[in-house]
Amino acid sequence: MKKILFALGLATVMALPAYAQTRQVTFTTQLKDYGGDGAYLALYLTDADGKYQGTLWVSGKKSKYYKHLRDWARGSGLNQAEYDGLTGASVTSGRALKVTLELEDALIDSGHQVRVDTAVEDMRDNRADVVVPLTTEGSGKPVTGRGYVQSFVYDLK
Amino acid sequence: MNIKPIVISFSLLLVGAGALADDDCDDPVAQWQPREHLRQKLEAEGWTVFRIKVDDGCYEVKGIDPDGYRMEAEYSPATFELMEMERDDDDDDDDHHHGKSRNYDSSSQAERPTHKGIVKGRPSVTVE
Repeated sequence: MKKILFALGLATVMALPAYAQTRQVTFTTQLKDYGGDGAYLALYLTDADGKYQGTLWVSGKKSKYYKHLRDWARGSGLNQAEYDGLTGASVTSGRALKVTLELEDALIDSGHQVRVDTAVEDMRDNRADVVVPLTTEGSGKPVTGRGYVQSFVYDLK
Repeated sequence: MNIKPIVISFSLLLVGAGALADDDCDDPVAQWQPREHLRQKLEAEGWTVFRIKVDDGCYEVKGIDPDGYRMEAEYSPATFELMEMERDDDDDDDDHHHGKSRNYDSSSQAERPTHKGIVKGRPSVTVE
């Protein structure tokens, strides 16, 4: 009997990390009317020093152009495992990209930053078009981008 | 255990991935023909050429093909061999969807769970 209890306890302990708390976050990126081809965007997390931590989303289908999302490209090493399943079409001038995903709670209020790199064919590349700390307090507060991003906001649920 | 089939399938996978990954052109520059020649050749075939630029060693042409579609095509600069061609509105920057919201939530493109990285499960994505 004791053995079974022990096994049960062990299984519970081992399974626990799989149920780490997650939180739903929606990232909305509104682009300016910059009037060019579809923009490539990379949304990613860095630590407080700007060191790459992980990819949230990449807009733009052709991976050969990903090098123009410069900081993200350097951080992720353009390693496909970093963005597998996290890519979609590029975003046209003036439109808004809305990405909703589950993030580990531990990434919020822990000094991490959300960054957005942007690039448009035949136009300039913007590393860190948006840089904003990922905090409960910052939720719902729009910030302005430096490049093609008109405004960026995340909403924590 | 007989691992031969496994080894063979893995090698095939690797070879396949390598072949797919390479859509660059590697003609020696000395053999390149002027892009004006490519423009003339395409216009003779009924194209309207907007512009030709060099991308990854290829001539990348944007224009309208004889059937009236906006195209983006890549040609080898030495032989003008066609390397890649796609409808421009296959991609993303199509203007036909103004005002509509499109949802390319993943289901088709990402059945695999994202095992690496910080995102749990698959994101839901819309462009408005």
